[in-house]
Amino acid sequence: MHSLFWKIFLSFWLTLIIFAALLMFAASSYLEHIRTQQDIGSMRARLSEYFNQAQATAKDKGIAGLKEWLDRLDRSEAIPIFLIDEAGRDLLEREIPVNIIERLDRRRKHAERPEWKRPPHMQPIRLPDGSAYRMVPDFQSITLLRVLQRPRVIALPVAVAALVSALICLMLGRYLTFPLERLRRATQHIAAGDLTQRVVPSMGGRRDEIADLAGAFDKMAERLEKVFGAQRQLLSDASHELRSPLARLQVALGLARQRSSGHADKELDRIELEIERLNELIGQLLELSRLEAGVDAAHSEQIDIRELLEGLIEDAQFEADSKGCQARLQQAFPAVVKANAMLLHSAIENVVRNAIKYTRQGTAVEISMLEDARDPDHIIIQVRDHGPGVPEAMLPRIFEPFVRMEEARDRLSGGHGLGLAIADRAVRLYGGEIVAKNEPDGGLSICIRLHSLGVD
Amino acid sequence: MARILLADDDIELGDMLTEYLGKEGFEVDLAHDGDMALSKALANPYDLLILDVMMPGRNGFDVLRELRARSLLPVLMLTARGDDVDSIVGLELGADDYLAKPSNPRVMVARIRAILRRAETQGEPHNGGGQPDQITLDDLVMHTGSRTVTCGNAPMSMTSTEFSVLDVLLREAGNVVSKANLSERALGRKLSRYDRSLDMHVSNLRRKLGPLPDGQERIKTVRGVGYIYSRT
Repeated sequence: MHSLFWKIFLSFWLTLIIFAALLMFAASSYLEHIRTQQDIGSMRARLSEYFNQAQATAKDKGIAGLKEWLDRLDRSEAIPIFLIDEAGRDLLEREIPVNIIERLDRRRKHAERPEWKRPPHMQPIRLPDGSAYRMVPDFQSITLLRVLQRPRVIALPVAVAALVSALICLMLGRYLTFPLERLRRATQHIAAGDLTQRVVPSMGGRRDEIADLAGAFDKMAERLEKVFGAQRQLLSDASHELRSPLARLQVALGLARQRSSGHADKELDRIELEIERLNELIGQLLELSRLEAGVDAAHSEQIDIRELLEGLIEDAQFEADSKGCQARLQQAFPAVVKANAMLLHSAIENVVRNAIKYTRQGTAVEISMLEDARDPDHIIIQVRDHGPGVPEAMLPRIFEPFVRMEEARDRLSGGHGLGLAIADRAVRLYGGEIVAKNEPDGGLSICIRLHSLGVD
Repeated sequence: MARILLADDDIELGDMLTEYLGKEGFEVDLAHDGDMALSKALANPYDLLILDVMMPGRNGFDVLRELRARSLLPVLMLTARGDDVDSIVGLELGADDYLAKPSNPRVMVARIRAILRRAETQGEPHNGGGQPDQITLDDLVMHTGSRTVTCGNAPMSMTSTEFSVLDVLLREAGNVVSKANLSERALGRKLSRYDRSLDMHVSNLRRKLGPLPDGQERIKTVRGVGYIYSRT
């Protein structure tokens, strides 16, 4: 089925034919109109008007003025008008067609008959120097080319033709691009993570290639939604299911502690630490899957970012102390952001903890609030470490779940690569952005850009 | 010995917790679904109910709703970790406290002790200290001995946690009580960041007590600081 192909083909073809036909019709009907002199009264009036103009010009400006006047008239008038002197030469030295010469001869013969009364425009035009010219319109020599070269004559039919064809083309263009625009928007929504978008219902009763495309698009979106949903469900279910054995493990550990009465504390502490890690990982997995489902956007409140950062850094300092480094609030100003406080806190905390993990011993993780130079409605929270940085090629990937930079090192520091992914999803949930870049003098800096409500 | 009813559908976990809590000095009874939990809680004099939110059939919220219609038995909710909506709903329905599951059993014991301490003084005519055993403020009368509250001569029904929160606020009436202070004195634990429990207990109190006779809010929030019980 190529109905769209035929629609485009036929519309273009039809438009071209209509345009050409209208143009030809307009020109030829005008030509015909002149030739048959259907409107003889007005033609006569026009000619006598020209005659009066010519006579006045001849009287005032002489031969040169008359020449100029005739030249101007010839450029706007579709009918060639000659001014012929006694010797049978045109004022503008154009070649005079044979039929005109014959007509002049006939006129001369008529003139000898007294009963024939000349119309006024057939009187000779006399110049001050005594020479005389006769005005002769040449109705036979109106050609299509002459008509087309004088746009004033055919402006109206051309405008109508242009308007009609423009209308057809406009409708065709709209008909073609409207559903494409709809598809583009749906694709953008899907790219942004909204897999519920469908386009077929907005196509109406269309049955062409675009409708087929819309159908295929919807099938793809449905499949994507199913696969992503299943994956998310699996992740969520698995994490939930892991909680039960973990809860039993914790109580079993408690029982073991009660029984061992201090004999195996070292081992039990180790077990407890690993249980905590497992618990945290499962918690993060669930948080991530909930964020990807976008359910936490509710419960938004106004948050003072400086206050949040101060509290967060206070907590982070404990972790930094144990690593022999520091967490420092470098620069801050009052700013309010609308978000879920717990979510935003955990997003920034993840970034800060990640920085503490990688910064070198004895250095400081610097956290600063910056104003966005491009956009005063946004603020930037920058977290900068003095660590090894990240290979340039890996930079965009560090916000993906479970991406490791250096296997061995990561395992040693107990990393599991979910913190930044959670931060990324949480920041994006509020329309923010998170980007990472290597600092020229070493170290990684992560910038979180958020929409700010200004100062509270 | 305090008697605890543990409502959790995980039978193995229940058995292990019974043993663990037994060693900590609690007598534990088990219920494996919502219906059993509700009928046991209403039929026997327990000191505390530990209630898991996720149970087949009647879930934890349903049990709590039905229970609160008839009993003020202290309740510790076990909610899914990281799901703050669950904990807010639980507190709103009148739970005394909540605990994310899974968590360290030592933390659970600490929470249990804190709740029991609040409820312990219930029914004791004298609290021994030099504090007055009746506080009267406007239309509100609080008997700290019998732990009862009347508001405009109508007796108020409130959980022991709500009573403790009100108790602290009334003693400090006219002064701002910081959230950290209120948490340590009324809930017996440090306030963690983004813990909504105090807010929920206060909002329950507001709902139950209504405004002051002159139309003012009884307990005002001082943003970023804490709460104040206003005097007329």
